[in-house]
Amino acid sequence: MSSIVISGDTSGAITLAAPSVAGTNTATLPAAAGTVMVSGNMPAFSYYLSSSQNITAATWTKITFNTKTFDTNNNFDSATNYRFTPTVAGYYQINVIYASNSTGSNPIYSAVAIYKNGSALNYAYQGTSAAFACPSISTIIYFNGSTDYVEFYAYMYGGTGTLQAYGGSLYTYVGGSMLRSA
Amino acid sequence: MTLYEKIKAIYPSLEDKDFLTVITLQNDSNGAGDYIKEWNHPTLVKPTQEQLDAIK
Repeated sequence: MSSIVISGDTSGAITLAAPSVAGTNTATLPAAAGTVMVSGNMPAFSYYLSSSQNITAATWTKITFNTKTFDTNNNFDSATNYRFTPTVAGYYQINVIYASNSTGSNPIYSAVAIYKNGSALNYAYQGTSAAFACPSISTIIYFNGSTDYVEFYAYMYGGTGTLQAYGGSLYTYVGGSMLRSA
Repeated sequence: MTLYEKIKAIYPSLEDKDFLTVITLQNDSNGAGDYIKEWNHPTLVKPTQEQLDAIK
């Protein structure tokens, strides 16, 4: 037998198939209850800031990530609230890179933050002697799969001229992926 | 004039680092503008809206 098909009571079916190569392989289910996660139902997303966003000095400003690279479960709001609200509960790796830029030449002090449900969860600060800095955060966050969300805030002071989150897919971006279920 | 600049005008003794430690200004990019999210300065009281509006 090369596969086992389990049919649902009303519709749908699950097929467990053996690979078409020689040898015996064993997959053991853990002694735990819950939803079996496979690559097809573990959300992943990537967005970036399409054009530079002005940042008011010394004011935490939400980054308006507005352009999608991919979003497998359509869990990122890139039009209104600019937040990630996964609908599958679990632990997620979240990464954000903030390219901060002053159109002047003086040193700047920059920071990026992840806010969970409206409150700061993680900060990353960077002071530089140049007019450009790229603080970043890489962390693991638990989401309940319904109401939990994260947003991303930028901060700058110093410099001369306009303070900006530098736009473009290469510069200011965010991404994440589910690591394991709850 | 930004909210940050108005607060600095009211309290010239404030330093930039104060806005990372005891004062939090925020903008949620929803069109509502900047606002004071937290004010925990040990000696200076939070400015009133009237004080802020008086700064032009």
